[in-house]
Amino acid sequence: MARPGMFTTRRRDVLALAALGMAAGTVRPAKAVTPSGQLTVGVHITLAPTWLDPAETAGIITPFMVMYALHDAVAKPMPQGNPSPSLAESWSAGEDGLSYEFILRKGAVFHNGDPVTSEDVKFSFDRYRGAAHALIKERVESVETPDPQRVVFKLKNPWPDFITFYTVASGAGWVVPKKYVEKVGDDAFKKAPIGAGPYKFVSFTPGVELVLEAFEQYWRKTPSVKRIVLRVIPDESTRLAALKRGEIDIAYSVRAELAEELQRTPGLTLRPTVGSAPYYLYFPEQWDPKSPWYDRRVRLSTKYALDYNTINQALTLGHSHITGSIIPENFEFYEKLAPPVYDPDKAKQLLAEAGHEGGFDAGFYTCDVAYANLGEAALNNLAAVGIRAKLRPLERAAFFKGYGDKKFKNIIQGASGAFGNAATRLQEFVVKGGVYAYGSYPEIDELFPQQAVELDRTKRAAILTKMQKLLDEQTMYVSIWQLAFISGVGPRVDQSGFGLIKGFVYTAPYEDITLKSA
Amino acid sequence: MRQFIARRLGYSLLSLLLLSLTIFFFVRVTGDPATLLVEPGASEEDIAAIHQQFGLDRPLWVQYGLFMLNLVRGDFGQSFYYQTPVLELYMNRLPNSLLLASVAMAFSLLVGIPTGILAAVRVGRFWDSAGKLFALLGLSLPSFFVGLVMILLFSVYLGWLPSSGSGTPLHLIMPAFALGWYFAASHMRLTRSSMLEVLGSEYVKLARLKGLPQALVIGKHAFKNALIPVLTLAGINLVLMINVAVVVETVFAWPGIGRLLYEGISFRDFPVVQGIVIMGGTMIVAVNLLVDVVYAVIDPRIRLEK
Amino acid sequence: MSISTETIILPSHAPPRATAARRSDFPLLPVIILGSIAFMAVFADFLAPHNPEVGALTARFHPPFWQDGGSTDHLLGTDQLGRDVLSRLIFGARVSMVVGFTAVIFAGVIGTVLGILAGYIGGWVDQVIMRITDAWLALPALTFALFLAAIVGPSMWNIVIILGLVYWTRYARVVRGEVLSLKEREFVRLAVVAGCSKLTIMRRHILPNVVNSAIVLATLMLGVVIVTEASLSFLGVGVPPPQPAWGLMLSDGKQGLMVGYWWLTVLPGCCIMLMVLSANLLGDWLRVKLDPQLRQL
Repeated sequence: MARPGMFTTRRRDVLALAALGMAAGTVRPAKAVTPSGQLTVGVHITLAPTWLDPAETAGIITPFMVMYALHDAVAKPMPQGNPSPSLAESWSAGEDGLSYEFILRKGAVFHNGDPVTSEDVKFSFDRYRGAAHALIKERVESVETPDPQRVVFKLKNPWPDFITFYTVASGAGWVVPKKYVEKVGDDAFKKAPIGAGPYKFVSFTPGVELVLEAFEQYWRKTPSVKRIVLRVIPDESTRLAALKRGEIDIAYSVRAELAEELQRTPGLTLRPTVGSAPYYLYFPEQWDPKSPWYDRRVRLSTKYALDYNTINQALTLGHSHITGSIIPENFEFYEKLAPPVYDPDKAKQLLAEAGHEGGFDAGFYTCDVAYANLGEAALNNLAAVGIRAKLRPLERAAFFKGYGDKKFKNIIQGASGAFGNAATRLQEFVVKGGVYAYGSYPEIDELFPQQAVELDRTKRAAILTKMQKLLDEQTMYVSIWQLAFISGVGPRVDQSGFGLIKGFVYTAPYEDITLKSA
Repeated sequence: MRQFIARRLGYSLLSLLLLSLTIFFFVRVTGDPATLLVEPGASEEDIAAIHQQFGLDRPLWVQYGLFMLNLVRGDFGQSFYYQTPVLELYMNRLPNSLLLASVAMAFSLLVGIPTGILAAVRVGRFWDSAGKLFALLGLSLPSFFVGLVMILLFSVYLGWLPSSGSGTPLHLIMPAFALGWYFAASHMRLTRSSMLEVLGSEYVKLARLKGLPQALVIGKHAFKNALIPVLTLAGINLVLMINVAVVVETVFAWPGIGRLLYEGISFRDFPVVQGIVIMGGTMIVAVNLLVDVVYAVIDPRIRLEK
Repeated sequence: MSISTETIILPSHAPPRATAARRSDFPLLPVIILGSIAFMAVFADFLAPHNPEVGALTARFHPPFWQDGGSTDHLLGTDQLGRDVLSRLIFGARVSMVVGFTAVIFAGVIGTVLGILAGYIGGWVDQVIMRITDAWLALPALTFALFLAAIVGPSMWNIVIILGLVYWTRYARVVRGEVLSLKEREFVRLAVVAGCSKLTIMRRHILPNVVNSAIVLATLMLGVVIVTEASLSFLGVGVPPPQPAWGLMLSDGKQGLMVGYWWLTVLPGCCIMLMVLSANLLGDWLRVKLDPQLRQL
């Protein structure tokens, strides 16, 4: 059961975490700051009411834009670490890997004054029904609350990724007040949510704006900005215009020629943040011998056909990271693979070798409508070497549904911004049975269960590295880049919150945002 | 009179019924309406729930009954994207469209009526030709093109006006102009022809024979009578404006009904699209009825027709 | 739009257009313009200097040749993907022409047939057809088109069908009115007395006489249909990319507007405007030429 070396690793982890926890706990300054001023953020997408409730966290990054303001979690990605203790001061794992104990911080309270207790943590976990909830609940035997400051999770089997899933790759660790939710019910909760985060809810007009006010009793620190308004402005030009006129202080998602305009405008700052979402081309038909995509050379030709650097320059002013892997760079167990190179002659040559001299009609290129600009540019390059396809942009939910239902053909341009680690990505996208895996290769499949039970971290990393290399050899995917999400910051903002949390593209932590004094 | 109103009301109700049937029909014509009525990205259980809720397994006339029952109660379904009832969303955005349409209407009347009168009074000469040119341009230039050119001129080059969004009266100027331009041309044409007809009428000829000054003839009598058809057209056009402003509202990011329709299309939020179409049709049937009744009150000859 | 409102709302004594009868000089310019657009549509493959669907990103946002940074290689500049604007305009004419004409003809055929049936047969057939026509006319064209597009999804032929479904009602009304007055004419009455079947009468006597109105209406509708198609493309539910369409070019170019890339919107917009203007002028002339009684159109 217990393996040599495992125990000491655990002990070291616990001590480190405890130190972090205490350090985080003493961040609170002696002098209380009075919050003042207002910060208005121009948001590029409509704010969904489900984002106000952590129980419904979808497997994408966008709900966290709201969650980091309104709510808090047992532990979450923070500037200090990923994850970093938040509502919990520390945690430790049992020697057999079958239990995890969290010690909650004293003094953390909800917006209505109620203290955050283990009951709330258990309640939040039980009611969680968002991304990965089936996976997590399947492996958790029970959640116990021996006293108000302690929560103990008991697992059915040892699961090295538990912490990753509980605190990073899902919303299960985000805590809502049990008494309040039980009193008002789920629907009313979404209309007037109460959380433990740095900002409390003031009002929400669907499709228009979300207004938040500083919560001065926040355990970590008192926020410096009194009011934060998240205003929905879906049209990019309008958003930039509003930023230029000073109607908003931050504008999310400004791209291509508008980003160039932003850069040229005095008083405005361009803030690119690289997210954890590698974009790639996927070939759902590669296991069908009748399809042209069955031939690896055809898939490989697309890899050489794209002019990565020019597209990067055109769409994101060169800030995106061209990558050779579908695993995000900042993920645990990421293995760096050689980035793709632009060589259209080689692409044509490969196509000719595979018997498609002059190219072929490649059907549909399906993508998320928000990234149709990348799709267009890629299609452009593909057409130049002879691979002619039609762009088929779909609305995000419809895209992921069709993708998961295995409805798409020919080429899919996809990306996933979900938190997690290399194993979680491989599971969803590569291994047999994965939601987005249209097929699989046996030599990769057989390695997956091996790493799932491997408790020795070095050995596990080796297996995962091998899987990633095999993936590359098969050219199952063609990775493009890790998108740089470009935002604009106005002259009033001092610390905008961009880039503080690695891999997170929105402004956070909210309590660290400051405005320039007048 | 009462008979006439009753008859017209009957026709209107019939139109509404047919409208609802049409919409009902089209939603089901492609096969399983569940794909439209359910949120994109929904699970099998959600689809089953929708089947239950709309009675999609029941005979068609039962489904239609349910559909009509909901409509009458004001239940147009729920927007997937906003998670709010469609009617509520609609009512939230309607004032914005109303504001835009009103200003656009005011502009179109302020420009259309005087030019129409001028063209009629100076018929066949310079102002008439100029007016006709104006009308032609107005009816041929798509509103969104006008809008885009205006953004280029007044926002980008001159920097006088904000390019899009809402909030201040400045934001209203360009979209109202872009929307009202077409209707200005339409009103001008109608004013002109209506004015010409009145100017050629017996009453005016008599007034001229009597030696009354031209200005008085035009200003007092001709003007008022010529205006009647124009104003009734304006009433209908106001409602029409609210419904056709989709593109203008999209270009200027104006948060009205048109923009809501565009969002519904983009996000595959079908209940919103369906709701807006139903409301649009209903509004127009209602305003047509109103206009017909008003006309009948003014002109008794109408009552006796058909 | 003006057509529908003027035919429903105005009292039946439509005002005469005194000056219209005098202006029957042949509209040379509109015909030349329409002809050129048709020519471009047919011979696009030969006329276009570049491939309209492929461009080099390194050559993006080049202005037209008479501005700084422009070149004669791309006479009217390039778009956000480096595609040649002139070539896209030329190929875009194809979409506008094909969709415009086909939709107008499709709507015309349906509307004329139904109009004849309603007008000639009368009775409940008339009632049913007219009630449906009235109901459908109450739906604003663009809204209705968007509704249908949301259901069936965008493709060139879907758009044609949708536009046909939206606009046939305009024809039905007018044709029915014509048929009603034709029914009372001598030659029709004679045919009835001679024992001709209803179908024969409708085909041989009624149809040829309503064709004129249908054609005039068709030219007037062309402009409207093209604007609607451009609107649909602008809103993203028209012909799917990368196939060039003028409305789509307007939509793509909108972002560049803020940065001063005027040619991406102004040029396609001018094309639309020219085509619609020409169609309207031609329709006006035809209206007067073919039958002065059609003035109320």
